[in-house]
Amino acid sequence: MTSYLLRRLPSLAVVLAVSSVLVFGLLRLVPGDPATTLAGSDATPDTIAAIRHQLGLDQPVLSQYAHWLTGLVTFDLGRSYIIGGGIGPLIGGALGNTLLLTASALLLAVLTALVLGPLWASARRPWLDHLLTGVNTLAIAVPTFVLGVALALLFGVVVPVLPAGGVPRGGLLADPGITAQYLLMPAVCLGLPVGAVLTRYLAESLRSELAQPYVVTALAAGVPRRRVLLRHALRNVLPTSLTVLGLQTGALLGGAVLVEFTFSWPGLGMLIERAITGRDYPVVQVLLMLSVTVFVVLQLLTDAAHALLDPRIRLGGAR
Amino acid sequence: MTDIALRAGRTPRVRRGALTRGRGLAGLVLVGAVIAAGVLAPLLAPYAPQQQIPGANLLGPSGRHLFGTDEVNRDVFSRVLYGLRIDLGICLVAVPCGALVGGLAGLLASRTAVADVVAQRVFDVLLAFPPIILGIAIAAVTGVGALPVICVVVGAEVPLFGRLVRTSVLKVRELPYVDAAETMGASWPWVLRKHVVPNILDALIVQLAISASGAVFIDSAMNFIGIGVRPPTPSLGGVLAAAMGQLGTNTLYAVGPLLFIVVLVLGFQLIAQALLASRRGDA
Repeated sequence: MTSYLLRRLPSLAVVLAVSSVLVFGLLRLVPGDPATTLAGSDATPDTIAAIRHQLGLDQPVLSQYAHWLTGLVTFDLGRSYIIGGGIGPLIGGALGNTLLLTASALLLAVLTALVLGPLWASARRPWLDHLLTGVNTLAIAVPTFVLGVALALLFGVVVPVLPAGGVPRGGLLADPGITAQYLLMPAVCLGLPVGAVLTRYLAESLRSELAQPYVVTALAAGVPRRRVLLRHALRNVLPTSLTVLGLQTGALLGGAVLVEFTFSWPGLGMLIERAITGRDYPVVQVLLMLSVTVFVVLQLLTDAAHALLDPRIRLGGAR
Repeated sequence: MTDIALRAGRTPRVRRGALTRGRGLAGLVLVGAVIAAGVLAPLLAPYAPQQQIPGANLLGPSGRHLFGTDEVNRDVFSRVLYGLRIDLGICLVAVPCGALVGGLAGLLASRTAVADVVAQRVFDVLLAFPPIILGIAIAAVTGVGALPVICVVVGAEVPLFGRLVRTSVLKVRELPYVDAAETMGASWPWVLRKHVVPNILDALIVQLAISASGAVFIDSAMNFIGIGVRPPTPSLGGVLAAAMGQLGTNTLYAVGPLLFIVVLVLGFQLIAQALLASRRGDA
């Protein structure tokens, strides 16, 4: 296992290194003097000088890059000149909100898949199968933000039972009940496509598992169908489903930006949107690196989990 | 071997059948209708997309304004139709570009070991950025507009087509009859044209349908969060974002653009699913 992980590390390092060069180069590709761009339109010469010093613009490009990278690794992220405040606290606050949102979305997705997957796999009535296929296709196809607008319209305006966006006035931690109300629609919106993909995968692999000889034997021996499905078949397909879940979690990153924008949820997605429209490049850079790192590490963890469960991958060729 | 040869000869017929019934037909009708609406926009739209109609502020849907009017007195139906042209145009440029660049990169990767390693790492890096995040990065450099949208769609498609072509070419070259042809002195271009292309065409067409659906998604998402086509130029995502601000006053304003995006994405998905099912032989 360790050797498998070690073998994967070089390609991970290359991806991270190339991404960091690209993200670092971003600011230099923007036309104009970086310090003036960063300071915004109504900046004093003092601010511009301070930024010049913070970025080390008077030094060679290579040491600027080293300086930036050291800052990232040591979490010394510098200051934001346009949104304002230290970049570290800015991101820390938003990160908590995004984690709450994505964790709720994942929880909803997994619960949905665990209930609907076995139900779909054992659906013997054609109308039920058709219904589930239709709903599933729709859930996978409809873009998250489109669903978000539709939900906000339906439950925020037409039948006003839930807040159409934003966060509770007293903050997220003040009253869990009210927070849940604000969280529900964004989480459903973000979790639905993941849940749909997972449900479809679970149902399809359960169906092929149910055709295995051991299932036939168990059924012939009089073991109840429900028990065979939930105790034996489900247990056998869960490991590979974990991989699908891992890949889908990576996709949540992009989805979170859209969902947060739709529901004005003050997470990383909103922050990056604000940073981009305000041209706050240092914040954009840190967020881009964060996103790439999370994505790459998630991918590695997924592969590692898969390798742990399936020795053929671990022992197979270096490809 | 005969099985593979037979299948390669038979698949085009299966594929055509896949789009004349069931899911495939439904997808084709949905996509066709939306494309027709976009192409015929100058005939169908009752107003110009930028035209401000005196006294028609945030009206609800009616016979005169099918989707109502927006916050600056423009007809939403007309804006959606013209926006559709922009969105379809972007996808029409970006998806084939991505397929071409990705396909060539994949082909190159299948030829030499060095190119393979480089191409794989490039694909890895591209895949490490979720499309929306990539869009934000590109928009940061180029500024908002249609260009970053096209770049992102191409960037998202290149690794998909690259990987697909690379794996398919390597697989085809392992086939005994291709091996035999090469042994007999067949040139690489000949093998490519005679054996490789016919064998991977099916997979490419399925991927094109999936990519078209993905491109509509990326395009409308970027326009929605405001890093795509710049208003007042209409786009489905842009109209939807504007409608978000008016949910309380003109509730049905959002429904028009919503409907068109869903129909387009769903239509391409249905086509892709039908093609995929017909390739597997179960439809």
